[in-house]
Amino acid sequence: MRPDQDFEESEQERKFRRRIFHLVFAILVLIAGGFLIWKLSGLVAPVIVGALLAFLFRPIKERLKIPWLPHELQVLCSFVAVGLVLFFALDTARKYIPDDKQQLEYKVRLKYKLNEQYQQWVMKSPEGKPSMLMSFIQKQTGPLMDKVNQLLELDPKEREQFLHYSAAYSVKNEIGKYFQANQNARKYATPEEAPDAAPATTAAVAAPVQPPPAGESSKWEPWILAPLIFVFFGFDNGQIRRYFIGLVPNRYFELSVTLLDRLDNAIGKYLRGTLTECTLVGLTLCLGLILLGSPVGIAMAIGLICGLVNAIPMLGTVIALVICLGYALIAENVEPLIPGLNPNNLPLYAVVLVGITHVLDDVVFQPFVLGSAVNIHPLVVIVAIIGGSLILGLWGMLFAIPTVVVVKTAVETLFKELKDYRII
Amino acid sequence: MSGQKQVANKLLWETLERWKRSSPELDRIKFLKTVPFFDQLSNRQLKAVSDILFERKYEIDELIFEEGQPGAALFLILDGRVAVEMRRENHTTTLAILERGAFVGEMALLDEAPRSANARSLERTRALALYRGDLSELIHRDPETACQIYRALAHIVGDRLRSTNKLVQMEISADKASVA
Repeated sequence: MRPDQDFEESEQERKFRRRIFHLVFAILVLIAGGFLIWKLSGLVAPVIVGALLAFLFRPIKERLKIPWLPHELQVLCSFVAVGLVLFFALDTARKYIPDDKQQLEYKVRLKYKLNEQYQQWVMKSPEGKPSMLMSFIQKQTGPLMDKVNQLLELDPKEREQFLHYSAAYSVKNEIGKYFQANQNARKYATPEEAPDAAPATTAAVAAPVQPPPAGESSKWEPWILAPLIFVFFGFDNGQIRRYFIGLVPNRYFELSVTLLDRLDNAIGKYLRGTLTECTLVGLTLCLGLILLGSPVGIAMAIGLICGLVNAIPMLGTVIALVICLGYALIAENVEPLIPGLNPNNLPLYAVVLVGITHVLDDVVFQPFVLGSAVNIHPLVVIVAIIGGSLILGLWGMLFAIPTVVVVKTAVETLFKELKDYRII
Repeated sequence: MSGQKQVANKLLWETLERWKRSSPELDRIKFLKTVPFFDQLSNRQLKAVSDILFERKYEIDELIFEEGQPGAALFLILDGRVAVEMRRENHTTTLAILERGAFVGEMALLDEAPRSANARSLERTRALALYRGDLSELIHRDPETACQIYRALAHIVGDRLRSTNKLVQMEISADKASVA
């Protein structure tokens, strides 16, 4: 046998061995990866949040890049710049976060105002006698109002606290009046409609206040990972990408870099687009509330929260509606900046404002900002949100659509590129 | 300066020099300086380019890229030899054999057009790949460097176009002569 043939045979054998090794190694990695994700499922959300934040932070890092500075120092500078902005924003927002006393006040006020508005709109007709339609609405919404009242009821501990505050800090007179009125709140459902309402209330009152379970604090511990992941990804200068591309066989090198690049673009477009869209929604609501006479601080806080929850498709608007309506119900001494508006109709204006914002979001913001970044069928959106909420709760709902975007783009690009590179 | 300090100083500088000499990053930058694409760039700019390069290792007879596939990267030959070939039916024509310091697949830096030839390693080869997307990103991060690279690319493409024109002219003249 010639030495050339020998060499060729040994090379063939080596190629075969290499393929078997790669296959076994890939299977082992997949099994180990799957097992780890299943066992460490609590870490998945913090890791994703940290990575997403780093992803969103990347353009800022790139913009603040100073070519003559070492990479680490550049990243540090951008961290400091973003940190300072966030610090001032949070410090400002902190002033508007209600303390224990204010929370109790809001709860009492909300219950009182809700009942007042309900009685004004549903219980009374202009003639003083409820019409047939009103009777029907009352019959349908009565049990719901009872449930809401039950939810807003102060438990014995809160009641004690409230009485303590009202004695020590002279809680406003109206709040005391509201508290008294809430004690005598009537039931809206007729007894035959709500047979279980009364025992439930009794049970809620009678049940001792349970201390939080021991494991409650530990569920937040994995979240320490999120800032760590953010910092590590922030300092990364493409090494992680280069490392993983380095593992790819030569045949798939160009395919892999193209695929990663396209995925990066699609996810980046979607995430940054969503962030811009949420900011625009938050700003619209904030501006609307200011025009309706709300103090700037509260309008900003509501705008911020509603902007954030807007990232949850469909449900975001519902949450924003609940928040704005809740605020409109408890707001007092409001003087709208738009002439001709009646301050007593604030809840109605809040509903209109959320409606206008939603239409603006659908007609202007989404097409303008997101464009055709994602074309996902509404049914897929609903299924993804429900599935996400079942798997990871609120975080699952938030990440459902980005996950669908990643999978959709990955599959589409992979098939296109595999065909272009004549691999399939 | 005391003798001890002098020895410490010498040791320090010698260690630093040795470290500098053996640093793979420095070796790569030195190599990049020899490539026509990057010979106009400063050390800092070369470092920026070096940060976005992928190092690939090819076995004997392994394809670096294939004719007809969409191009995505330029390959700089760090070590080894690469043949640029065109396959037509049963016949393979070798267009060029490239060695250390040469580059191949530069048109992929411009667009996704299919490769016009195969690149195959004739011996164990190490190559540095510059991905088109990374170069495009460099425009935003370091426009001066990216601009210089694109200018070098334009020069190379221009030179090739002039050579092709000359070849076409010669072919036409030869045809005319044979007709006459």
